[in-house]
Amino acid sequence: MDKKTILDNGLLEQYLLGELNAQECEQIEQVLASDTELKAQFDAIEKDFETLGLENAIEPPKGIKYQLIQDIREAKDTKNNKNNTNLKYYLGIAAAIAALLMLGNFWMYNELNVVKDQLQTVETEKTELNDKLNNLNKQIDEEIALFSTIAHPDTEQYVLKGNTLMPDGKVVSYVNHSTKSVVINTERLPKLDAEHDYQMWADVEGEMINMGVIAKDQNLMAMNYIDHAESLNITIEPAGGNDHPTVSQLVSNVYLN
Amino acid sequence: MQNDNFLIQQLKDKDERALSLLYDKYAGAIYSVIIKMVRDEGKAQNLLQDTFMTVWDKAESYDASKGRFYTWVFRIARNKTLNFLRKVEPLIQTDDFSVHDSKEEAISIDAKYLELNGAITTLEEHHKKAIELVYFKGLTHKEAHQQMDVPLGTFKSYVRQALKQLRKAYTKTLSVLLLILNAL
Repeated sequence: MDKKTILDNGLLEQYLLGELNAQECEQIEQVLASDTELKAQFDAIEKDFETLGLENAIEPPKGIKYQLIQDIREAKDTKNNKNNTNLKYYLGIAAAIAALLMLGNFWMYNELNVVKDQLQTVETEKTELNDKLNNLNKQIDEEIALFSTIAHPDTEQYVLKGNTLMPDGKVVSYVNHSTKSVVINTERLPKLDAEHDYQMWADVEGEMINMGVIAKDQNLMAMNYIDHAESLNITIEPAGGNDHPTVSQLVSNVYLN
Repeated sequence: MQNDNFLIQQLKDKDERALSLLYDKYAGAIYSVIIKMVRDEGKAQNLLQDTFMTVWDKAESYDASKGRFYTWVFRIARNKTLNFLRKVEPLIQTDDFSVHDSKEEAISIDAKYLELNGAITTLEEHHKKAIELVYFKGLTHKEAHQQMDVPLGTFKSYVRQALKQLRKAYTKTLSVLLLILNAL
């Protein structure tokens, strides 16, 4: 857009009156900023229009200015209040967040305690399981030892059949003189009451030597090997065993080769 | 005007006193334009107040290098009034044609508000009319030339001629004033 177009089309007047769109306004403003002569012309038109306006002024009622100033003050107050409200609002949010965080912390603290308890339980259980495992290992080792004794090529098997006191009972014993071990199978021993135990003895030159009390909860167990034993004997003794065999309670015996 | 520049700066700094003084200076001229456009005292007063409220709120955006303060306020008032009329007029026209028919009568307003004063009254009738339509009635050049039933180019030259006449009148007044001042 150039100066001539602007002048020929009366665009200065239209621009002044506010008839042009934003794009046209911008173009006019660019030309005005660079052309002092055109700007001077525009200034003159502005002055003319202003004088025209002032010449035709109609005094508005006094109340309008008063109302205007009142409205401005109210708007200011509202704005300030709004700021206060905003501040309160943000403080409220902050407080709510703080409360949530505290609740969250409290909850997490509780959870932590629960987890600690659970961990404790798990550790206890783990210890128990370890113990069980150790016991099982031990048991397996023992049983392996027992079986290795039984399976040993030098092992001899002796069956202790029950006498008249124990007609249905029998114990199978495995004696190995090379490894000096004795293992017995007590599966067929009749059950005893809590006050009595079976006890095993070795007869060495007429003397009964204690080979151990037979456990009630094991079917297969190792007994003490006694050198130069001539026979194996089983008696019923008071619970926990006896120092000397009660001969009247002899239930079974077998001679060794 | 040096005085104005100072007041405008204060207005931008949200000084109520500056607004009050600028209002005293320009509200009359602006009110005159608004009332001639809406032809209703109450509505004109609302629009006037609304205009100066915007002047207060948007003072920061006034750029003195682009034009006079009065021109800026005039444009705000003209836009507000035209927007208001655009909102109101379709209602009057579509809702009830009888209202539209009797529009001129319905809007009864003291004739003194529509009268023109000063140098413009000395212009030839078609020059006066041209200025009245674009300046006091808020019509665009395109609307105004149709209303006057002359080609757009002719209408533009009416405006240009009218302004030239007004300039002459104003310069004469100024010369007379200067003469009187000299005589004193």
